[in-house]
Amino acid sequence: MNELYQLLTGPMLWLTFFVFTFGTLYKLLSILVLTIQKEPFIMSVFSFKYGMRSILSWMTPFKPVSMKKHPVLSSVIYVFHICLFIAPLFLMAHITLLDESWGLVWPSLSDSLIDYLTLIVLACCLFYFIRRLTQKEVNYLTSQSDYILLAIVALPFFTGLMAYHQWFAYGFFLNLHILSGEIMLMAIPFTRLSHMIISPLTRAYMGSEFGEIRHAKDW
Amino acid sequence: MIPKIYSIVIAITLVLYLSTGVLSQEDMLVIDNRPFADTTRPNAIFQHDVHNEKAEIEDCATCHHVYDEDKGEFIPDQSSEDQRCYECHDLKETGKKPGLMKAFHLKCKRCHQEQKKGPLMCGDCHRK
Repeated sequence: MNELYQLLTGPMLWLTFFVFTFGTLYKLLSILVLTIQKEPFIMSVFSFKYGMRSILSWMTPFKPVSMKKHPVLSSVIYVFHICLFIAPLFLMAHITLLDESWGLVWPSLSDSLIDYLTLIVLACCLFYFIRRLTQKEVNYLTSQSDYILLAIVALPFFTGLMAYHQWFAYGFFLNLHILSGEIMLMAIPFTRLSHMIISPLTRAYMGSEFGEIRHAKDW
Repeated sequence: MIPKIYSIVIAITLVLYLSTGVLSQEDMLVIDNRPFADTTRPNAIFQHDVHNEKAEIEDCATCHHVYDEDKGEFIPDQSSEDQRCYECHDLKETGKKPGLMKAFHLKCKRCHQEQKKGPLMCGDCHRK
């Protein structure tokens, strides 16, 4: 187990950082090039002011009309994304490891709070899963890859929960936790998880077009 | 008188208890985490004598080191087993000197990594 742990926290982690960083840069660059080649007018519309106005409006809970129309789904999405970032970034064990490797430190939240945030993330994943299965129009648009992506996101949280509580096989779950986290990070630039990188750009474009040209709100 | 017998028994037990070395390292089973104000994890398991016999550590300074802050190096022939770790290592990091928790973690894990023996995963020492 220790050999695998060292492989996952050593070379494999560096590979993950490499793939994630350069994958993200590649994704951004390819979008930029495609835009300039195929729809160059998009570049002329971009406005920082209206772009930010739209992004901030869409980040404000229940400000967008679509959020008011779908209160349950919107709330789940909102809570899910907050917990998704806070749980791993403010977990004491993660910060301790970063401190030991690179001397990077920031405040952490209590383990029991993160425990709840993890459960919320998993509950949201279950919600998405059931929604894809049961809601007709969503099911129609669902392909196998959607379930795989959902599993890629849920797995690091499930295995993290198992490893933290040391339930069943601790070593197995910790290694699987690290591996699944690395798979998730590497998948971001190359799958639909890339909305993490891209969605601010599309939102900013919509905001710019609506603000500058149509003189209207886009939320 | 019964109470008198009780007190004699208690006194003998106490003397026996202390004379068998309750405070010696033979009985050390976990890292003493009392210096930490609040702990998130259970004490790290560490059986001092069992560990050192297994790891064939004879030099106390392997762990109980003395550091020359002016020269910035460990003093090879000195050891500090008569001191507690927290007497030098504060809870917070000070300059190049790691805080108490980091000192414990790095001391244990670096050696385990170099020797390719002993636990590295959090929960292998901090067992629930």
